[in-house]
Amino acid sequence: MTAPDQSGDAYQKGFDAQLTRRIFVYLKPYVPLVVAGVVLALLIAVAQPMFALIQRHAIDTYLVPFERDRTLSTENLYRGLMVAALGYMALKVVEFCLTYAFTLAIGYLGQNVLRDIRGDVFTKLQRLHLAFFDQNPVGRLITRVTSDVDAINQFITGGLVSLIQSSFLIVAYVIIMLRVNWKLALISFTVLPVLYFATNFFRARLRDAFRMTRTQQAIVNTKLNENITGMLTVQLFGRENRSALDFDQSNRSLLTANVNSVKWFSLFMPVVAVLGQVAVALVLYFASRNILGGNGVAAGAFTIGTLYAFVQWTQQLFQPIQDLADVFNNLQAAMASSERIFGVLDTKEEVSDKPDAKPLNNFEGSVSFEGVWFSYDQTVTADTPASDDRWILRGIDLHIQPGESVALVGATGAGKTSVTALVSRFYDVQGGAVKVDGVDVRDLAQYDLRRHVGVVLQDVFLFAGTIEGNLTLNNPDISHERVVEACQYVGVHDYILSLPEGYQTEVRERGATLSTGQKQLLAFARALIQNPDILLVLDEATANVDTETELRIQHALQKVMLGRTSIIIAHRLSTIEGCDRIVVMRKGRIVEQGSHRELLQKGGYYARLHRLQYAQGDAAD
Amino acid sequence: MESLRTLAPYLKMHTRQYIIGLVAVIIANSVNLLPYYFIRLTIDGLTGQTDTDPNTAGLTLATAGLYALGIVLAALTAGGFMLLMRRMIVVASRQTEYEIRRDLFAHLQTLDKHYYDRAKTGDLMNRLTGDLSAVREMLGFGAWQIVNIVSGFVTAFAVMFGLSWQLTLIVIAILPIIVGVLFYLARQISKRHRLAQEQNSLIAAKAQENFSGARVVKGYAIEDREIADYKSMNLELLRRNIALTKVEGPLRSFASLLIGLAFGLILLVGGRLILSPTNDGSFTVGMFVQFVGTLERLAWPMLMVGWITGVTQRGLASWLRLREMMDARPLVHDDRNRTNTRIRDLLGDVAFENVSLNYGNARVLENIDLTIPAGTFLGITGPTGSGKTLLAQLITRSIDPTSGVVKMDGQDVRVIPLNTLRDAISIVPQEPFLFSDTIANNIGFGLGNRDLPRVPTGISVVGAPPTPDIPQKPDPARVRNAARLAGLDGDIEGFPNGYDTMLGERGVTLSGGQRQRTAVARALVREPRILILDDSLSAVDTETERKILDGLREISAGRTVIVIAHRVSTLRHADQIVVLEAGRIVEQGTHEGLLAAGGHYAELERLQSLATDLDDDDDAVATPDEAANLLETGRMSAPGLPTKEKEQVTK
Ligand SMILES: Nc1ncnc2c1ncn2[C@@H]1O[C@H](COP(=O)(O)OP(=O)(O)OP(=O)(O)O)[C@@H](O)[C@H]1O
Ligand SMILES: Nc1ncnc2c1ncn2[C@@H]1O[C@H](COP(=O)(O)OP(=O)(O)OP(=O)(O)O)[C@@H](O)[C@H]1O
Ligand SMILES: [Mg+2]
Repeated sequence: MTAPDQSGDAYQKGFDAQLTRRIFVYLKPYVPLVVAGVVLALLIAVAQPMFALIQRHAIDTYLVPFERDRTLSTENLYRGLMVAALGYMALKVVEFCLTYAFTLAIGYLGQNVLRDIRGDVFTKLQRLHLAFFDQNPVGRLITRVTSDVDAINQFITGGLVSLIQSSFLIVAYVIIMLRVNWKLALISFTVLPVLYFATNFFRARLRDAFRMTRTQQAIVNTKLNENITGMLTVQLFGRENRSALDFDQSNRSLLTANVNSVKWFSLFMPVVAVLGQVAVALVLYFASRNILGGNGVAAGAFTIGTLYAFVQWTQQLFQPIQDLADVFNNLQAAMASSERIFGVLDTKEEVSDKPDAKPLNNFEGSVSFEGVWFSYDQTVTADTPASDDRWILRGIDLHIQPGESVALVGATGAGKTSVTALVSRFYDVQGGAVKVDGVDVRDLAQYDLRRHVGVVLQDVFLFAGTIEGNLTLNNPDISHERVVEACQYVGVHDYILSLPEGYQTEVRERGATLSTGQKQLLAFARALIQNPDILLVLDEATANVDTETELRIQHALQKVMLGRTSIIIAHRLSTIEGCDRIVVMRKGRIVEQGSHRELLQKGGYYARLHRLQYAQGDAAD
Repeated sequence: MESLRTLAPYLKMHTRQYIIGLVAVIIANSVNLLPYYFIRLTIDGLTGQTDTDPNTAGLTLATAGLYALGIVLAALTAGGFMLLMRRMIVVASRQTEYEIRRDLFAHLQTLDKHYYDRAKTGDLMNRLTGDLSAVREMLGFGAWQIVNIVSGFVTAFAVMFGLSWQLTLIVIAILPIIVGVLFYLARQISKRHRLAQEQNSLIAAKAQENFSGARVVKGYAIEDREIADYKSMNLELLRRNIALTKVEGPLRSFASLLIGLAFGLILLVGGRLILSPTNDGSFTVGMFVQFVGTLERLAWPMLMVGWITGVTQRGLASWLRLREMMDARPLVHDDRNRTNTRIRDLLGDVAFENVSLNYGNARVLENIDLTIPAGTFLGITGPTGSGKTLLAQLITRSIDPTSGVVKMDGQDVRVIPLNTLRDAISIVPQEPFLFSDTIANNIGFGLGNRDLPRVPTGISVVGAPPTPDIPQKPDPARVRNAARLAGLDGDIEGFPNGYDTMLGERGVTLSGGQRQRTAVARALVREPRILILDDSLSAVDTETERKILDGLREISAGRTVIVIAHRVSTLRHADQIVVLEAGRIVEQGTHEGLLAAGGHYAELERLQSLATDLDDDDDAVATPDEAANLLETGRMSAPGLPTKEKEQVTK
């Protein structure tokens, strides 16, 4: 089954200056926040090493001298100690306030950028042509607006910020340590490169391991999802054991991947801890050596307080170094994600409004195809030879008068659905033109055009929510009366009222408790509610509805929507034989057209279809 | 606690790992206190406290070296035990996660339509991912953290008490405040985290719906409304995330603040202890440093107290939700007392005896009596929502009737083992579900599934044999033949990869007609005793339909075929046709018989061929509008029998 999201979805990518610049553009509206963040980071970096300094001061000036010389006045010493202790506490409060302000600023910044990028991506996706959705599985698009955006946020808050913050901190610690005692500082620094490389090494292993678990988790999730949605099919075909075996394979792989991450992680943490203690031991040893000095009595330069401060600093310096080692991981992930996101944002809108798009106000309802050549393949151009297999429509000429009803018939794949898709301008044609009311659809605003075209498809898509919400598509301007009226027309009103909560009944997933025909009727009602006054396209919209109901709908429609232009696709010929004109398509061409009666007399393809459907089995025997 | 009891079997599978791991935590925690002990010894040595002569150092360089070595050794020991702990407990929790997932999956496979009609895939997925992780976190992280906290506090307090009871009392006095505040923060965090998470799911669901329904969104030009909706949901997410940041962001620095304040206090009091004229060296700077260092080691466990309650609460709540899934029982299932396992073969004789079906108060099928002899062809038709699909589902036992009996070969279907029953029946559902696999595997979906080993459940994965890899290899000849019968072979040969073409999610890469025919082929390939087509030819044109029906006839000798359809052309060759209306059988008979009876079926026939019949009539009622009028006014007497008219047209 599917390995989710493989193509082009790498999890990492090297640094790319141009991408970074584009991410920075999103920071622009928040420059004050950025500046505040940097200033706060600087202040915090300055404050951090002070604590150990105060402790050093307390130990060296008040405590140790007394231990060395018990004759000193305890009261004087204690007063000094009190000041130090209170100063320490005050500084802690200040540091906390700074950190809090910093966290808020960064959180606010990150969340806003997240929201901006998300909004942009979603908006862009709404503007993209339908073909984009044909080509990209839903799961992948969701990844774009969720985890990819998160990765960029992570880059800003986790990567960029910790790059600045860690650098400041490291500089602050290094300066103060060097100033206090450069020899001891250098000794304790010896561990740092080891720490940096160890962190880097383990992080890389962990990253690989996590990537592996993510991939396996995605596979497990995809399989779970497919098995849950298709469970009834699995059961009907007695396939439980095979599905279970198949799932267990993936489940085991996930376990293996997880255990593998645990292995690396369980090594990583103790190694860092041991390195930290090695640094402490080094400081302790060399400080002792220094203090013991020549005569074994403390020489002024080196004190117990200094020893203590160094133990603290060495341990505190570990965090920013580790963070720094991590920054590059965040960066790589963010580069890969932002590349994908900007890939979406840069996708050309194949179907877009012209700047001078005309509004469509008084729509009469005439539709004409003038020598239309069309292919779903973007590489096909007007110059491609007509014999090329990729052409779906080959020179369609079709003129539909306002109020006329036209039926399209023909074998599967003849291009009927494609014709209707062009009327709504879901795709643009390669040759010729599609016109409504004599205006090329490419010169109209898409919104105006589609507002006037109601399309009902055989595959009904119901959104989560109530029945009414599905009918109005959550448009607050649509009155309940109109909803009821439309449902009465399509004959589903009584059924809806029979439900416990009527129109407010929640639709089960994919309408599980509705019969297929009922779902089609709802889709039909939706079209009537959304487009009260225009062109209706029915693409096998009543294929699962019985003939009586279908006739009742047609009957009702004719009463209500006089003058409505309609294009109807159906395989059941009784559905369409009342149409003003029947157009027979074959391999992207119109081969016959005329009224039902004319076509029967002609004795062509339509007559044969008709014979097959109604003849008393003679064709079959 | 009840929930813990139900979790016990899974814990028992890994008892050894948990015990070793927990002992390791305790050892590591104790050893971890040694480094500060060595630091104290060094400092006291340096300040001359150890040999009571302040003017000479109390230690030699060699001793200092030993102490330094002691620190490294202690760290190595503690690290080693932490490593052991992770490899025991965290691995065990991962294994438990696997076992629960495996068992849940197996359980889900036993649940029936009734359950899945009500379930939401998103919700089930959330439980299988989010809730399962929460349980795993409770078992892995939670288990060792609890022991870690307890042993951390106990050992640290023992050491601190030994150093100075006065200072320890201060710590004991302020500790509840610190823990309380952190606890409160942690609770806030988990609450706000949940709120943010909920909004996150909403947004993801919104995006999912929008992208899946792209055709509807674009078709009705509601993009702008969708964008506005999405943006406002996004804004709400921002609010909730910032609310979360307000409590989560400063947690660590808050802990550091509290510990810092505690340190200030200890400096004040400890300083007093040292700087007292009566101090005879029983409390030294070294001890003070050790005290403070030991206290600092408690920062992490203190932070964790709040976390761990969150983790445990979440884990328990999640486990309840998983239990809920495990406790769900299918209405339709084999029953040891009822099921007769000796039934192996079925002929395909189906009978409904006074069958009724209710959904809530609605009676959707009423007193159905129907006999379908083995080897016959039954056609079912009737208005939308009349219960045709439900009738078919009663035969496959997707649902059981509210009253009455469905019989197969004279036996109540509830007595027949489910897999025997379903082996004998193939159904093409009205809305077929295809899998993202090759088209050959989709057609051969129901082949070669017998005699496969079961994945064992309820056992520990440790030492369990690997899952056998039994790839699906449907017999290509059978697949091809089925595709041919379903009129699909031409289409497949036109695909670049032929039978190996991968289908997209739910088969989206196929056209409507191709999807339907793939499902037909999938049913035919099993050569079932009973074949049910539920409105399965609605999306194919008449020519193709004719081919399929001919193919059906080719293989249907001796098989029971049940076809639900709206087109008379599909039904007319049936041995028996049943017309359902509002859950009742209103007509029953052969095509000719029903036409002669002049009831609903005759009317359907007339409606579907109306214009043809009236072709010769010049003042024909030509539009459906008028036809519907006819219907309503009950003017049923169509001119002449339709059959005769049609012969004229064919000529
Ligand atoms: N979104 C798409 N992307 C690429 N090819 C497509 C797409 N939709 C349809 N096609 C191809 O275009 C051809 C014409 O398809 P179309 O859906 O117009 O046929 P149709 O006459 O409506 O058939 P049906 O009766 O099955 O609805 C088919 O061969 C199909 O494979
Ligand atoms: N799981 C369910 N819960 C509640 N009501 C249900 C459920 N399944 C079906 N129904 C209702 O039972 C009635 C019969 O449904 P069924 O699917 O059998 O209709 P049908 O005859 O197959 O119609 P169609 O021709 O539209 O497919 C409908 O009113 C439907 O809404
Ligand atoms: Mg049905």
